[in-house]
Amino acid sequence: MSESTVRYSPRGRAGAIKGFLRRFLGYGGAQVGLVCLMFFLIVAAVPGILVGPLQTAINATGDFLVPPSSQHLLGTDEVGRDVLNLVVHGARISLTIALLATVISLVLGTTIGMTAGYYGGRADVWLMRLTDFFFVMPSFVLALVITPVVLEVMGRGGEILGLRPSLFVIIVVIGMTSWAFVARIVRSQTLSLKERTFIDRARIAGSSNLSIMVRHLLPNLVPQIGANGALVVAGAIYVETSLSFLGLGDPLQPSWGTLLSLAQRAGAASAGAWWCLGAPGVCVLMVSLSFVLIGNALDDTFNPRRRVIP
Amino acid sequence: MPDTADVLCLESLHVHFPIQGRLFDRLRGRPAGAVRAVDGIDLNIGRGEIVALVGESGSGKTTVGRVITKLAQPTGGRMLFDGRDMTSVQGSSALRPYRHRVQMIFQDAYQALNPRHTVFDIVAEPLRSLRLVEDGKQLAERVGEALASAGLNPPGDFFARFPHELSGGQRQRVVIAGALAVRPELIVADEPVSMLDVSIRAQILQVLVDLRAKHNMALLFITHDLPLAWLIADRIAVLYLGKLVEIGSADEVTFNPRHPYTVALRNATPQIGGNVGRAELPALQGEVPSAARVPKGCRFHPRCPVAFDRCREEEPPPVEVGSGHTAACWLAT
Repeated sequence: MSESTVRYSPRGRAGAIKGFLRRFLGYGGAQVGLVCLMFFLIVAAVPGILVGPLQTAINATGDFLVPPSSQHLLGTDEVGRDVLNLVVHGARISLTIALLATVISLVLGTTIGMTAGYYGGRADVWLMRLTDFFFVMPSFVLALVITPVVLEVMGRGGEILGLRPSLFVIIVVIGMTSWAFVARIVRSQTLSLKERTFIDRARIAGSSNLSIMVRHLLPNLVPQIGANGALVVAGAIYVETSLSFLGLGDPLQPSWGTLLSLAQRAGAASAGAWWCLGAPGVCVLMVSLSFVLIGNALDDTFNPRRRVIP
Repeated sequence: MPDTADVLCLESLHVHFPIQGRLFDRLRGRPAGAVRAVDGIDLNIGRGEIVALVGESGSGKTTVGRVITKLAQPTGGRMLFDGRDMTSVQGSSALRPYRHRVQMIFQDAYQALNPRHTVFDIVAEPLRSLRLVEDGKQLAERVGEALASAGLNPPGDFFARFPHELSGGQRQRVVIAGALAVRPELIVADEPVSMLDVSIRAQILQVLVDLRAKHNMALLFITHDLPLAWLIADRIAVLYLGKLVEIGSADEVTFNPRHPYTVALRNATPQIGGNVGRAELPALQGEVPSAARVPKGCRFHPRCPVAFDRCREEEPPPVEVGSGHTAACWLAT
């Protein structure tokens, strides 16, 4: 058996992952993005240890609008709260909202895109018209309209999954309005994958449609979903910040957008209190940027010939 | 007449793919026509028989294979498996008993294997989805057995490998093992060796022939290569533009072809050691016409070196020219 004597170096799943990491980390953007993201993730994981409990107007420690000093590294706001304390606690809220919204968006987008692409025909037409609707609908405007309505229906009291209802609504709304982009990319990839012979083979092997989608299509879609997921997070942070800035956030669980909103309403800009606006602003910028950098690096790693500029 | 001794029986099978017409034609209500990929085929395969389906690219031979494996739906005719009408059975759960008995081997072994599955998962997939095993131990046994009969020894060495770690011949053996794992009664092999090196071809063919001997498995061997068909098959069916032009025992069709197309196919084969019997007809000219515009009369007449007036007007019916040997030509008697 001549061909059996050809031996390849054993290179299983672990080897493939190692090779992927080497290429991925070869991109400068990926390194910067990862380091920056790790920093914010650590901050968001243990805010209490780093800066103590969240300060409110009652337990504020400083004077009003004190510029940055050794005691308050990022100064204080208009009621004397330490801005560093607020920003660190805001990291947790902002990242949680963005990541949960992304999960919703990816699950919806992948399910709809894969179903449309795989079944084709009428299912494809209707699901894609639905996607088009959400695609052309400016998600920010939709979110702005939906959020107060849903809040009115649900009420503002209590907590859902440890989040205030207003934040929970924001998560759902962002998730609902950002999946169209994912669905389109997943559908196009599914269209090309389903023509591959291994899908025919799976069908002859007796696999059901569901099992073909889950066991054959989904693993081959992971690269696209991952790369675009990172970009969706960046978008989610942006929308969350904007919505909170317009007053849809929750003052009891302030995200960076809420902090910006409060600072703006207190007249921080005209009072020259740049630290009040600057600190959360820079955080939003850095986290969004690192997700975009990671997303683009992932995209380049998986598919060097295609470059998505969303 | 369906013969219960036959494992598979195709009766006047048609597969027409509709052509999406241009907007202008559709508005005027003009029919857009259809690609007549398979245009009335009668073929039966006996138990443990190897039948070769020979034809050029575009003759519809792959479509026949896809119909038999239920990847394509016929638009006319019937398909009987073991005497039962399988023409309109659809859906993965309804087809499960059929999948258990009919499997397929693909031309491009690399495309046919999911790059993210291990060899074990690939071979185990039909056993799992057709619920043919009770536990993991039995599954491993069946997978190992299938890999061994496809010639991958020792099977355990291959369980954790991915397709990209295998050579072309090994990949094709994995595809064969996947088809064998369920112990089917009929295997459709679509050009199983055309992508392989000549040296490996013989080994793969040997595996297929051995299977028939061991398990009395019927095989539909789809190929464009007449000598290869003669080598492996009991009977040969020659397909041209969606219709069978000649069918008979392998020796009869190869050495006593009665249809000009079969003659041309045979003459187009290069032979080592001189051109014995090559001067009868000139080589085939041109391409197979589009199946969307099938020529009137005998569909081979535009390329036929011996065509005459009748061929351009009337389509010849299949004529018995020997025992079990039929040819569809006005000149065949």
